[in-house]
Amino acid sequence: MAAAVELRDLTKRFGDFVAVGGITLDVQAGEIFGFLGANGAGKSTTIRMMCGLLRPSGGSARVLGIDVAKDPEGVKRSIGYMSQRFSLYEDLTAQQNIRFFGGVYGLHGPEAREREQWAIEMTGLRGQEHRLTRELPGGWRQKLALACAVLHRPRVVFLDEPTSGVDPLSRRRFWALIDEMAASGVTVFVTTHYLDEAEYCHRLALIHAGRLAALGGVAELKQVFAGHAVLEVECPHPADALDTLSDAAWAREVAIFGTRLHVVVEDAERGAQQVQEALAATGNTPAQVARIVPSLEDVFIHHVEEAEAQKAAAARR
Amino acid sequence: MRKTWAVARKELRQIARDPLSLVMLIGLPAFMLVLYGFALNFDVRHVALAVQDLDGSRASRDLLGAFVNSTYFDVTAVADAGDDLERITRMRSAKAVLVIPRGYGEDLAAGRNGDVQLLLDGTDATTAQTILGYAGSIAAEANSRLLHRALARTGTPAPDMTAYEPRVFYNPELRSTQFLVPGLIGFLLMLTAVLSTAMSVVREKERGTMEQIRVSPVRTAELILGKATPYLVISLLATAIIILAARVLFGVVVRGSYLDLFVATVLYLLGALGFGLLISTIADTQALAFQIGLLTSLLPAMLLSGFIFPIRTMPAVLRAITNLVPARHFLVVLRGIILKGAGLEPYLEQLVLLAVFAILTLGLASLRMSRREA
Amino acid sequence: MRTLWHVIVKELLQLRRDHKMLPLIFVAPVLQIVAFGYAVNTEVRDVPMVLVDQDRSPGSRDLVDRFVSSGYFTLVATEDTPRAIDPWLVSGRGHVALVIGPGYGAAREGGPQAGVQMIADGSDSSAATQALGYAAAIVNAADQERVRERVRLALAGGDVTPPGRIQLVPRVYYNADLKSRWFYVPAVLAMILMIMTMLLSAMAVVREKEIGTLEQLMVTPVAPWQLLVGKLAPFAAIGTLQVFLVTGVTTLWFGVPLRGSFLLLLGITQLFLLNTLGLGLLVSTLVRNQQQAMMAAAFLVMIPMIYLSGLIFPIENMPRVIQTVTYAIPLRYYSNVIRGIFLKGAGMETLWRESIVLALMGTGLLAIASLRFRKRLD
Repeated sequence: MAAAVELRDLTKRFGDFVAVGGITLDVQAGEIFGFLGANGAGKSTTIRMMCGLLRPSGGSARVLGIDVAKDPEGVKRSIGYMSQRFSLYEDLTAQQNIRFFGGVYGLHGPEAREREQWAIEMTGLRGQEHRLTRELPGGWRQKLALACAVLHRPRVVFLDEPTSGVDPLSRRRFWALIDEMAASGVTVFVTTHYLDEAEYCHRLALIHAGRLAALGGVAELKQVFAGHAVLEVECPHPADALDTLSDAAWAREVAIFGTRLHVVVEDAERGAQQVQEALAATGNTPAQVARIVPSLEDVFIHHVEEAEAQKAAAARR
Repeated sequence: MRKTWAVARKELRQIARDPLSLVMLIGLPAFMLVLYGFALNFDVRHVALAVQDLDGSRASRDLLGAFVNSTYFDVTAVADAGDDLERITRMRSAKAVLVIPRGYGEDLAAGRNGDVQLLLDGTDATTAQTILGYAGSIAAEANSRLLHRALARTGTPAPDMTAYEPRVFYNPELRSTQFLVPGLIGFLLMLTAVLSTAMSVVREKERGTMEQIRVSPVRTAELILGKATPYLVISLLATAIIILAARVLFGVVVRGSYLDLFVATVLYLLGALGFGLLISTIADTQALAFQIGLLTSLLPAMLLSGFIFPIRTMPAVLRAITNLVPARHFLVVLRGIILKGAGLEPYLEQLVLLAVFAILTLGLASLRMSRREA
Repeated sequence: MRTLWHVIVKELLQLRRDHKMLPLIFVAPVLQIVAFGYAVNTEVRDVPMVLVDQDRSPGSRDLVDRFVSSGYFTLVATEDTPRAIDPWLVSGRGHVALVIGPGYGAAREGGPQAGVQMIADGSDSSAATQALGYAAAIVNAADQERVRERVRLALAGGDVTPPGRIQLVPRVYYNADLKSRWFYVPAVLAMILMIMTMLLSAMAVVREKEIGTLEQLMVTPVAPWQLLVGKLAPFAAIGTLQVFLVTGVTTLWFGVPLRGSFLLLLGITQLFLLNTLGLGLLVSTLVRNQQQAMMAAAFLVMIPMIYLSGLIFPIENMPRVIQTVTYAIPLRYYSNVIRGIFLKGAGMETLWRESIVLALMGTGLLAIASLRFRKRLD
């Protein structure tokens, strides 16, 4: 079966600035594909190219077999897109928004009515459909935006940071909707910078500075720590500890997580001892060290640091 | 003070970040000056005139010659008997048609009135009025000549004519630009100051950043001051550019003191900025703010300020309303300083009114703003 | 077609929702017409005059009478010396001063030449020019009467008849009473159409850009033309409604005649709307936010167009170069159309040229604007 989305060396330059630098990946039909990266990493640019909003500077993007550079309008019929900025008409009611977007997607007759009912059910807006959109709480508006983006039953849906600024409970419900869509065969391509959300995705791509840093399933990605241990360190002065441990050759990676530090070492027990000694030497005590199961965040930071290290090495050469 | 400065600095940075708007705020006034200076001209000269001489006598040729030799008219067409004269004016090939009827010369010689007709397009009443004036004075001169010729034939010495001496103060060459530049300053400042302030506040409202500022410990007065100061500075800069451009392009020189000019302008601008802020407390969208601004500041500043159209000839009700238009009072002061070289003393009444307007608008604006805070 | 309808409905719903904007759309035109109708009057009348009569003879009093009864001048003060005139002119309470030199009355009775001085505040140049002209005519008329009397006496008893008087009989077409209102009030129609259709449509498009909904629309299969027509049609409709409103106020309230066909006016207005909508759209593709849109539309397009179109200031008075520029301005042609239909009763036989130019320019502008308005972000 052909991939729903095929990117081949997709590149976008704005003048001298390379926003997206040669991304190659496939997304299978029915997959929830997560696109992870910091702000400004190139996530939105990539998604906009796939939707035909931006013309690629190089490489190609095929969505459902259609080359978006050659036929941007052809793509638009079969995809749904929900942009980063909240994009409904706030001065229209929920129902007017649904009807309008149904209309521009060419829905009419019984189908339009059926989809309208479906959207109202799905968003849980029954009884609220005549309220102005600007008066609806954020979570509802989010679901309404999703409903409007998929009224025409697209086979691929692009969601650009759909849950930014939404409370956790709404986010959970929102992901349940995405799950349902994927189960019915819709391909969902979603960008996020919430790492906990990435756990909902079947597969992930980590993007850093416009380049693909890692690609794979969640479990697969965590494999990068095979043969290593991640230690969590709690001490009175974490910032000082970061300096101390970064200088130590045996600590492969050190990163701050809130008030704690995560340290990647070869061996858990020996590493723990070395950490204690190093901190004691600088008077940064008492310190508590414990081995933890690496989270996606550890994976993410690992890849970013690796990419930065490679870049630095390349620059030195 | 530091908080005011923070707001002002933010405002300046945002303006600087938006080069298009900045160029428009500063450069547009000069652009408009050029536009007005060249386009806005009521001096009617070289009126296209068609003539139809049905008499063909010496007297009729004399009269035609008087028209041809005047600088007011250019004879562009000669109509024959039976031509459709209305068509000539409708097709705009001539502004007016001079018709000398058959028997004109005989009538004059017999001591009867010699009627000549001037047909003209009255659509543009102002121009038509001026053309009628020109034609009237040419006819009067021709009459004088006739009389003097008659006297000369009898050998009577012609009486001395009154030595009529027109003297024009302040603008001896009677150039429209001298008149328009002060008006333009008042008009453009009102426009940019009111509109840009109103729009900048409403934009913050639309984007939600206003709420953010409100929760900070900035007081309403500080906020208003911080918002208004940058636009005050920019507007003063625009004024300087207009004055400079007027001097270079049109030779308009400020005869009075620049300090007086500065004082009057600041007073006027404070009112305009306050008015802009007041609009911003009413309007929720930029489009609305713009419409209100257009209606309440641009229109009055253009029509009711004496900028182009004299207030004297308006109906009493409207004349009373013009007193509420700050541009009207500012223009009197401005023309005094720029053209007449006057100081501020003769214009105390106008200055007081401007100050009252500034206090009222700024006061009302801050009142409305702080009420929302509660 | 159905898609188009949805875009139009959405636009209308949004307009209706804007409670403060809606009344303005209809109140603004009326206010504008009333302001223009009453405020705009370029007639020079009742010019405040200061008198310095150094002669104080029956002759000088007769001259003053002639000045006052002409209607052009109103006596506001009498001063003893010319030096006292200055404060009147500086404060603006007096615009002109009439100084009658000593011996004026005696000169009328045959004495030596005497002088009359007219001092004018030149800051309002056009009013001053006209006032000086009227003053010259009044002084001249007084003189001429005297000469005519002298001629009559000299020729009395002889067989030579004194010459007749050349009388100028003006016949004014289209606006017999030379009401400046008739010129300016119909012009408001053009201004309102520009504001409504160009400015507001530019802002409406940019607003969607700012909010982000435009991006959302770009990924839908809606065709660019549907989006454009859908967005612009409601503004065109409002503009058309305003033709009714403005024509109503103009003819019923101000008594300006509508001598031509209203249907023709409506028809050619549609052609003009192509231009304003095209310009509005073009502006929207060139700017980033609404503030820029309004500045560009108002200052770079609307105001120059109003001043260079002949709508208010006659094109004939402009320098040649600028006159050439005016041919590129759609409003120039529409302004001819408005005046032609309202005052001259012109029909298609005189306005066909204007109609063709407007149609061509409008289609061109719309085409350029739509080409720039692609469904892409870059």
